[in-house]
Amino acid sequence: MTGAFQKAFDLLFSGDAQLWNIVSVTMRMTLTSSIAALLLGAPLGVLYAATRFPGRKILIVINRTLMGLPPVVCGLLCYMLFSGVGPLRELKLLFTVTGMIIAQVILITPIAAGSMETYLSAIVGEIRESARGLRLSGGKTLLLMLNESKYALVSTYLFGFARAMAEVGAVSMVGGAIAYKTNVMTTAIMMYTNRGDFTLGLALGLLLLLISLIVNVFAHLLQRRRA
Amino acid sequence: MKKRILLTALALMLALSVFGCAKTTVTEEATAEPAETAEPVVMEQTATEVPETTDTPSPEDLLGITILYEQDDAMINNYSLLAVDENAPFVDADGKSVDDVALNTVGAKALIDWMLGDEATELIKNYGYDEYGEYLFYTKEDKPVATAEIPQATDETKTIRLSTTTSVNDSGLMDYLLPVFESEYGYNVEVSSAGTGKAIAAAKMGNADLILVHSKSQEDVFVSDGFAKVLEGYDSERLTFMYNYFVLVGPKDDPAQCAEASDVKDAFKRIADGKYPFVSRGDLSGTHTKEISLWPEELGITTEASSVADYSEWYMYSNAGMGVCLTMANEMDAYILSDKATFLTFRANGGIAG
Repeated sequence: MTGAFQKAFDLLFSGDAQLWNIVSVTMRMTLTSSIAALLLGAPLGVLYAATRFPGRKILIVINRTLMGLPPVVCGLLCYMLFSGVGPLRELKLLFTVTGMIIAQVILITPIAAGSMETYLSAIVGEIRESARGLRLSGGKTLLLMLNESKYALVSTYLFGFARAMAEVGAVSMVGGAIAYKTNVMTTAIMMYTNRGDFTLGLALGLLLLLISLIVNVFAHLLQRRRA
Repeated sequence: MKKRILLTALALMLALSVFGCAKTTVTEEATAEPAETAEPVVMEQTATEVPETTDTPSPEDLLGITILYEQDDAMINNYSLLAVDENAPFVDADGKSVDDVALNTVGAKALIDWMLGDEATELIKNYGYDEYGEYLFYTKEDKPVATAEIPQATDETKTIRLSTTTSVNDSGLMDYLLPVFESEYGYNVEVSSAGTGKAIAAAKMGNADLILVHSKSQEDVFVSDGFAKVLEGYDSERLTFMYNYFVLVGPKDDPAQCAEASDVKDAFKRIADGKYPFVSRGDLSGTHTKEISLWPEELGITTEASSVADYSEWYMYSNAGMGVCLTMANEMDAYILSDKATFLTFRANGGIAG
């Protein structure tokens, strides 16, 4: 086990080109997919929690089901769609980072929406009341609601970010783990494990955790200042 | 309170890094001047910590498994290249035919021409000899010969998708060959590796321009289904160009006495009779297909998991790559069929393939 720690540090300071490619592809994919999922999911969450429309409850149930969508099923679905014989073959998205991002957005958007819905539905009554008291318009009520949920937004984003970064099932199917192109940290860990190089796999895992720690520290500081 | 937790976390990371660095320095010092500080106990510790120094156990000794049976004609392992036909009867998930699958046939032909040419033949022949002291792959005497001139890549033909097996990729052969081809002709070869079964399935879904696999039975089906193409200048879809051997690997004390077997089928019979643990790839790879052809027929072992349900006490249907399976066999003192290249790299790296 200590071997893995040492290898992680050796790797970190070795300036290995392939490692940095893996890290940069991972970050590009994770940041894009988590931000896109937040931009799509958060308004959906507001919609679920703060408005009333027919079919809303069914949508919430569907959304909660999709929150449990196994990544590998999502990956398989995208693989079939983007495949050379799939209906979306014209887009040529199989084995590309864009394809991986799309798969991840499908995975994470319901999680972001669900998380916002859970938070907002608890406070929506109070906000409505104060808005009525202050005689705020609909638009201003929405703004007030978003202002009240800043803390939850950051948490929701971190959920999505963590899911995107740690997920392997979908990205390995859609990305194919091609070296210098679609190989991300989780698929690289799988690859090294497959070769029997458990130490290097664990070393990469530690680097992954380190990156996650840095992101979380920043987010935490941001959350404290805003909260 | 939160601040304190945060600080603790940071302190922990810092401590870890110091620990990591400290460990490196200690070992470096120890290797630099082992003679002076030498109490015998310390010497022994440095020996286990720094396997690069002399008088340490060779990687071979660290492993519990070794080659027990090899070089049998039944164990020959042929690798073939097949170009995917752009007019193949592709069908989508609903079985409807698809006639506009985008394939890079020009790029596939360029790579095949290069692989069958003199330069690659020479590279393949010598691969691994310096590192492992044995040749890992042999080129076939009667392999098809490339005559066409290889065109430089254009924007349209630049990306070549090669679907290959884990044994070719994990032995490091592709990392060694492809950069030469890429820098010379400007192509970019995207390699995805899986067992032969999966590699062929990917090609059938239009996700590969060519395949490099090693299972004759599966290749023949691929050809007869009309997915492969006879390239200009060749007379077959299946271009068998290199080979090596499968080897039967097992625990050094060889409880089934496979090393004394009269032929490879006898060796497998001994394992089955004694119910000694055996790790099967179980992933429809070329190695898996080869392995099931070596068991005594009355056992009825096929590629289906259900066919080995009765043997689960000793037969492990693992569904994993070669490296993982070798690690499993090593941990469990089990027998296993491996291609020689992957096993040699695995052994030389002290239990790591590739």
